[in-house]
Amino acid sequence: MEGIGLKILGALLTTIMAFAVGMTYGGITRKLTARVQNRVGPTIWQNFIDLVKLQSKKTNIYHGVMGHFAPMWIITAAMTVLMFIPVLHPNSTWYSTWFPNLTFHGDLIFLLYMMVFGSLGMALGAGQTGNPNSAIGVTRGLSQMVGFEIPFVLALVALMVQYKTTSIQDIMAIQDQSGVWMMFSNPFSFLAALFASLGMFRYSPFDIVGAPAELASGPVSEFGGKYLGVMMTGGSIFAFIKLTLYVDLFMGGAYSIPELLIKTFALYMVPVFYGWVSPRYRTEQAIRYFWGWPTALGILGVIIAVW
Amino acid sequence: MENKRNSQTIAEYIKNWSRKHSLFIMAYGTGCGAIEIPATLTSRYDAERLGIRGAATPRQADVLLITGYLATKTLKRVIRVYEQMQDPKYVIAFGSCTINGGMYYDSYNTINVLEKYIPVDVYINGCMPRPEAVIAGFQQLQDKIARGEADNGTRYKENLEWYRANQHRVIKNWRMPDYNW
Amino acid sequence: MLEKEQKLLEILKSAFQVEGKVIRNRRVEIWDHKEMVPAILLMVKTQLGYKHLNHITCIDWLEEGKFQLVYTVFSHTDKLTLFVKTKIDRDPAIMPNIDDIWDQANTYERELREMYGIEFPGLVGDQEFILEDWDEMPPMRRDFKTDVYAEKTFFAQPGREDAQDVRETITKRSGEEIPEFAKKYSRD
Repeated sequence: MEGIGLKILGALLTTIMAFAVGMTYGGITRKLTARVQNRVGPTIWQNFIDLVKLQSKKTNIYHGVMGHFAPMWIITAAMTVLMFIPVLHPNSTWYSTWFPNLTFHGDLIFLLYMMVFGSLGMALGAGQTGNPNSAIGVTRGLSQMVGFEIPFVLALVALMVQYKTTSIQDIMAIQDQSGVWMMFSNPFSFLAALFASLGMFRYSPFDIVGAPAELASGPVSEFGGKYLGVMMTGGSIFAFIKLTLYVDLFMGGAYSIPELLIKTFALYMVPVFYGWVSPRYRTEQAIRYFWGWPTALGILGVIIAVW
Repeated sequence: MENKRNSQTIAEYIKNWSRKHSLFIMAYGTGCGAIEIPATLTSRYDAERLGIRGAATPRQADVLLITGYLATKTLKRVIRVYEQMQDPKYVIAFGSCTINGGMYYDSYNTINVLEKYIPVDVYINGCMPRPEAVIAGFQQLQDKIARGEADNGTRYKENLEWYRANQHRVIKNWRMPDYNW
Repeated sequence: MLEKEQKLLEILKSAFQVEGKVIRNRRVEIWDHKEMVPAILLMVKTQLGYKHLNHITCIDWLEEGKFQLVYTVFSHTDKLTLFVKTKIDRDPAIMPNIDDIWDQANTYERELREMYGIEFPGLVGDQEFILEDWDEMPPMRRDFKTDVYAEKTFFAQPGREDAQDVRETITKRSGEEIPEFAKKYSRD
C-alpha cells in the first residue's frame, strides 16, 4: 500500500491479467464450441493470434473523430471500471500487496453507472461511421441493455437493501463472517443476476447486437484492423470485470488467483452452455425473456430482503 | 536480428506468422462456388482449425474469395468490396470461370480473366473445387504469407491505373465512390 | 379424350376466327395477329377463367425477320394451359402492351424490351431492367454475336500450348471413328 510506484505496477498487473484471462476464456470457448460441434477447432490462443494480426494491419480506415475515439473510449472505460473492482478478497495477502487499486473509493452504484460507459462509446463510434447496420446494432444493444439491466439492478438492490451497504468490500466481508455465499443466502437475487449475465455476455440466444448474418456484426461493422483489435481487448477486459464482480458479490470473492480463475470460469460457462443449445432471439423476444422470470425473481429477492 | 530462412526481421516474421494463422474471409459468394464455403467452414472440413473464419464485413476481412463466375454487375460490387478491405488483403479465385471464363467464356455478361481487374494471390482450379481443394488453396496462401510474398494490396495500388482502365472497359458508367485505403 | 381441350378451341375459334390446335392432353395453342392478342387474353381471363399468366416469352426467327411472342396462360378451374402465339416484325418490333390486364406482365415486357428490343407502347418502368450500362444491340437477338462481343470487351485467356482436342483424344483412346456430324467441330 505504500508508494505510488507499487500502485501503478499493481494497476498494470491487474489490467494485463484481466486482458489475458478474458482473451483466453474466449479462446477456450471457441475450442469447446468446436468440440461440441464435432470439430477440431482452433487453438485456445487463437484470439491472441487474431489480435496480433489485427494490430499488424497496414491500413486502418478513418471514420472521423468519434469513430477514432470509440475504441479508446471502450478500453478506457474498461480499465477505469477494472480499477474499482476488488479482484481478490480484501483479507488476502495478495490483495493488499498487488491489487488494491482504487477499490476503496468506489461502490456498487458507481460501478453500475460506469459499466455502461463501454456501450456508450461503442454507440457513439458506430453513429459516426454512418453504416445503417451499425445504427440498427446500437438500437438493439441499448434495447437489450434495458432488458437485462432490470433483473441485474434488482439483484444488486436486494443485496444493498438487505445488508445496508453499497460497498463491495463490506458485502464480501459479510459473506466471510457468516460463512455462507450470497448465492445460497440470497438465491433468488443470484438467479436473477445469473439470467442477466446471459444478456451481458451476448452469447447465442442474445447475440442480437452483432448478429453476423443479419447485421454484418452490427456496431463494429465499419471498424477493422487496429480499431477492431482495441475493441476486442476492451471487450475481453469487460468480460473479466463482469465475472469478477459476480464472484465478489455472490461467491464470496477469491483469496488467490487460481481460486479466482476457477470461480470465474465456472460462471463464464453458464452463458456459453446456454448459447450452445439456443438459436438467436429477436429483440422483442430477448426483452420479453428478461422482463419475465428473471425480473420476477429479482422482485422476489427484493421482497425477501426487505422483509 | 535476421531470420535466415527468408530474410525477414523478427517482427516481420511474427506479424506474418499471425497473419497466416488468422485469416478472416469475406463471406461474399459470387457464383456457384459459394456453396462450397459452408462445407469448408463447418464440421466436416473445419477450416477454423487453420485459423480461418468468416468475417461479416469487408472492413474486418483479410481474404476475398471469388467463388466462380463474375457477372459484370457483380464485378462492380466486388471491386467496391475489395477496395474497402484493409491492407494486407488477399484474393483467392475459385474455379475455372475466374481463370479463363470457364463455360461462360463467350458470354456477353461475365468477365473472363479475373486477374485483369483485381490482383489474385491463389487460383484454385476445378469446376467446382471440392472443400479439400479449397483448404489446399488456403494452405498455399498461408505459405505465401509466411514467405512474405503476398502483396496483393500493394500490387493493386501500384498498378491502379492499369486496373482502373481494365475496369472501365467493362463498367461503362462509373458511379463509384473513391475509397481512401 | 381431350373434350375440354376441343371445347376451348371451339369457343376461341368461333369468337375470334383464330387458327389453333390441341397439342396434347391439357395443352392448347392458338395463333393470331398481334392486334388481336390483348382482346383474346382479356376474354380468356375474364370469361373463361384463365386468370394465371405463366409467362411471356419470345423466339427470334431471324431468317423470317420475325419475332414470335408466346403468352402462356393457365386456368386453375379447367387445369388447362393455353398458348397464345403471335408473330411480329423484327424491325420495328412493336407489340401492344397488356400490363393493364395482368400487372405482372410489366416485368416480362420490360425484360423483352431490354433483351430483344421489342417496344411496348405505354409501358411503365425504367428502360434499364437487368443489364447495367448496356449500349449495344439487345443481347438476346440472334444477330448479336456474343463471342465477338466477349472477345472485344473481355480479355480472352490464351489456351495452353499443349492443350489437346478433347474429342480427338477421346476417340483416339477408345479407337472409335469421329462421327460425320461431329467433324465440323473438330479443331483442324
